[in-house]
Amino acid sequence: MTVLSQVFRSREGLVGLAILFVVAASGLSAPFVFPNDPLSIVAAPLIPPFTDRALPLGTDTLGRDVLACLFHAARSSLLVGLCAAAAALLIGTVMGTLAGFAGGIIDEALMRITDAFQIVPSFLLALAFVSTIGPSLPIVVIAIALGAWADPARLTRAQVLSIRERDYVASARTIGMHPMEIAFRQILPNALPPVMALAAIIVAAAILTEAALSFLGLGDPNIVTWGGMIAEGRNVLRSAAYLSIIPGMALLATVLGVYLLGEGINKAFAGQGAAR
Amino acid sequence: MGGAGRILRRRLISAIPVLIIVLLFTFLLLENASGDAVDAYLVSIGGGDASLRDSLRTQYGLDHSALWRLWLYATSVLKLDLGWSVAFDRPVLSLIMERLPNTLLLMGSATLLSFILGTALGIVAGAKPGSLLDRALSSVSLALYAVPGFWLGLVLVLVFAVKLRWLPTSGLETIASGKQGFARALDIARHLVLPVASLGLIYLGLFLRVMRSAMGEIWRMEFVSFAQSKGLSRARVVLRHVARNAALPLLTVLGLQSAMMLGGSVVIESVFAIPGFGRLAQEAVAGRDTPLLMGIILVSAVFVILVNLIVDLLYALLDPRIGAGEETA
Amino acid sequence: MPPSPLSRRSLLKTAALLAASTTLMRTDLAWAAGSGERLVVAADSEPKNLNPAIVASNGVFYISSKIVEPLAEASFSGRNGLEPRLATSWEGSQDGLSATFRLREGVTWHDGKPFTSADVAFSALSVWKPLQNLGRLVFANLESVDTPDEHTAIFHFSKPTSFQLIRNALPVVTSVLPKHLYDGTDIATNPLNTKPVGTGPFVFAEYKPGEYYRLTRNEKYWGKGQPKLDEIIYRVLPDRAGAATALEAGEIQLAAFSAVPLTDLARISKEPGIKVIADGYEALTYQLVVEINHRRKELADLKVRQAIAHAIDKKLVVDTVFLGYATNSTGPVPKNAPQFYTPDVKLYDFNVDKANALLDEAGYPRGADGNRFSLKLLPAPYFNETKQFGAYLRQALSAIGIDAQLVNNDAAAHQKAVYTDHAFDLAVAPTVFRGDPAISTTILVKSGTPAGVPFSNQGGYENKELDAIIDKAAQTVDEKQRTELYKVFQQKVKEDLPIINVAEWGFITVARNTVKNVASNPRWAVSNWADTAIEE
Repeated sequence: MTVLSQVFRSREGLVGLAILFVVAASGLSAPFVFPNDPLSIVAAPLIPPFTDRALPLGTDTLGRDVLACLFHAARSSLLVGLCAAAAALLIGTVMGTLAGFAGGIIDEALMRITDAFQIVPSFLLALAFVSTIGPSLPIVVIAIALGAWADPARLTRAQVLSIRERDYVASARTIGMHPMEIAFRQILPNALPPVMALAAIIVAAAILTEAALSFLGLGDPNIVTWGGMIAEGRNVLRSAAYLSIIPGMALLATVLGVYLLGEGINKAFAGQGAAR
Repeated sequence: MGGAGRILRRRLISAIPVLIIVLLFTFLLLENASGDAVDAYLVSIGGGDASLRDSLRTQYGLDHSALWRLWLYATSVLKLDLGWSVAFDRPVLSLIMERLPNTLLLMGSATLLSFILGTALGIVAGAKPGSLLDRALSSVSLALYAVPGFWLGLVLVLVFAVKLRWLPTSGLETIASGKQGFARALDIARHLVLPVASLGLIYLGLFLRVMRSAMGEIWRMEFVSFAQSKGLSRARVVLRHVARNAALPLLTVLGLQSAMMLGGSVVIESVFAIPGFGRLAQEAVAGRDTPLLMGIILVSAVFVILVNLIVDLLYALLDPRIGAGEETA
Repeated sequence: MPPSPLSRRSLLKTAALLAASTTLMRTDLAWAAGSGERLVVAADSEPKNLNPAIVASNGVFYISSKIVEPLAEASFSGRNGLEPRLATSWEGSQDGLSATFRLREGVTWHDGKPFTSADVAFSALSVWKPLQNLGRLVFANLESVDTPDEHTAIFHFSKPTSFQLIRNALPVVTSVLPKHLYDGTDIATNPLNTKPVGTGPFVFAEYKPGEYYRLTRNEKYWGKGQPKLDEIIYRVLPDRAGAATALEAGEIQLAAFSAVPLTDLARISKEPGIKVIADGYEALTYQLVVEINHRRKELADLKVRQAIAHAIDKKLVVDTVFLGYATNSTGPVPKNAPQFYTPDVKLYDFNVDKANALLDEAGYPRGADGNRFSLKLLPAPYFNETKQFGAYLRQALSAIGIDAQLVNNDAAAHQKAVYTDHAFDLAVAPTVFRGDPAISTTILVKSGTPAGVPFSNQGGYENKELDAIIDKAAQTVDEKQRTELYKVFQQKVKEDLPIINVAEWGFITVARNTVKNVASNPRWAVSNWADTAIEE
């Protein structure tokens, strides 16, 4: 039974997948359903939702279409989340494999560096990084990744350490395989599954971190993000609470979807492991 | 206690290179920042001319080379002098020490809230696994974990401070109230209700899960019915074994949470205008205040290291006991 | 299954605490909101140097103007728009080489020592001229100050200096410091800079970082029956949503400098007991300006600049960004500076077709994607309005085929990028008109300012004719001639467009009805509040 079908069978996986499907669909369809720049002023400011048929969710403080912004923000938020998580996992797994496989002083040095990045609270790190280099999409992604790679690195290393002593690795060594090849073609693929379990958490954390950065005014001003929308809405919390509530709900739903899907995948992997 | 001593020594020794790496990275980062402390200051006073700018740079020591400044900083840190904050015009250490207690109060209360509520609800949920209550609690806690902290803060302010007017909107206490002792503590407590709730509610799911799974295992053990037949109250037996089972994972969660909360406090303190450590970090970056930001990151790192150390020590303490407990049961 | 004993106990405890605190709520709210003639206001920044004689900025004045007084203050009804404070009369000589000030008698410093002309002489020579960011310009030619008696100060200038300029600058650059406390010390680092001592109606009492500043009544103030308040508390509320809710909850009684966001004004003005006041900022007019980097080939072309000017719908900006609480600018001098303002300048109406035509003429046709060229746009992060205008400008420019990329910097980075590194194409700046074009307006277009000076011409613009007019005006003593020259200045600026003036705005004060005498002068928020009172 494949992993995917097992995910579908668990309730969490199903709900998570459904939510994410809606979010991804809105993000992907944004350029077609709302072809104009979502940041352009289209009407009078602060039109409440459900009052104008052309503007189902109303307009914000500058007169921009909230629904269009919501859809386009789905794109950026998901994009940032996925890219940052991918970067974190990439850096983490590579570092972890190197450290676990090489051992000795390289291991020590790499682990100290990993410690350093793990000890500083990741949001502080991202804050300092984005503030000093300047807020733009690639920088935000790098900043989030910098705070997130330490955990996958540790996990990968632990896995690698245990796999390293297994038979098939020993035989690879005896036939004279190059260490790098052993590390990355034999060991890493088998070390991955638990690390992948972390993936969902990292994606969710990345989306939330990006939202918090945008909320504090450190987002890329040329794109819409949910965090940025909440930041704008905060100025008018009393008179137009919907501007803060709506993007917040979108964020909540997306992150929830990611967690649920993650749980579903975990269950599926666990099921597979039991079956083996 | 040899084990604890060993752990202590090992952790402390490995902490030093880590802290050095942290400091180096922060310094390099801020060196590459666009705009320095003088630029930030000139903005705040609405302008100034070239000679003012130059004199300020000399005053702040910014006209020296990076390496020289780093060396100066490193040597002063060893003397426990964290330097001079250019944005606030005070020693960094005193500034941090002034703000840190507020954040610790916030974090401590939030941790307490998460812990108490989370474990309590976890026991309730685990008592009837699979029931409607269990599923409802698990879903709610997951939803809470997915909520962005700052958004939760805004919603709570909207409902409780603005619409219902039950609680104050921001700040740590009523200004210049001159209150002392218990009245002051109560005032602060009132101001902290919403920020603590925003920070604490998010993490209660973590504790809930731990207790729930700890509960889950208990049901399966036969000794429960055995003990019951002996006349011991069910609740006591359950709770005692749950506590033992859950102690280690709870400890792990507590350790993880502290680092997460320190980061989370930055936004919460911003939303609620609390003069704390997290907000200080934001102000340090806005003011391009290198010494202050380095001091903040250093202190954060030390804090996390200390928390991890305590968790490890407690692990070592608890571990032998649990092993023994399982054998006799 | 019995519930855990832990949770029940803690729940009961929290419930008890909440119940107890709610009963206390009524009382301490009343206490907080101004019983005993105490005014609580919102402060959005915590200036580290509170000495207005060194740092003549609004953020500092907001707090310090109650403590340290200038020679004269702006006034709605006084002659030349001024009323006496520490100086009772003033006049300039015909040749522009001296200015005489008669000083007020019977004034004492907060520590009891008498205020004399020696203090004025000291402040002028040791502080305003060498140290003050704006004073360096106004008192550039100050040579010496004579004090023939304790209540007369005669300023001597090495070159003819316009008394019109000095007079217009009096409220801003002439905060007097006590000589006996500053003389002989390193003025810039004197600890009194964080605990100012002055002659004003209020005395500095306390500063709790991150929380509040506290000022108390000066019992020996020279104004009869003043001050009316016993205490002023500046509550630190850096975020604007906090200021609005605090006002409504009664935690503060006044929010100045538009601490309450414009979008909340309509709603808050309907609240019983709260009033919205737009007056009191006439002498503190802020201008929304598009700074241009003339080093960029496209922007060096006048036609391109004119096209950009035509692409901006000023009415939309005023209505949407400022919600009507602003007016469109016609030039570098705002309309509410009647001394210098002239409407007789070249105007650029909102005309997208014309803008497109100009760009085509200039030789920048649209490409396949509809864009002619792209620019980096850096809106200043200091005000919400400048950021929002940046977002609008981006859209306005894309309508005429210019792809503007917004750059989101914080204050320090913006300062460096625009004014030091010149790493911008267009920038949005909130400049201030301070009563006289020579103070902080001509520097926006004059060439020759070294890099690193904020709110100056850092776009590399050089117009010898304009420079000549500015220099001449700076040296002209005759008021009529000087005024005429500044009118020509405005015309030249609108002709050549070194910068584009879009709108000008004053701030809004929102206060409880119980606060009296709000906006009693054109610089009210940064004046001494001696007549401000609370009447229940």
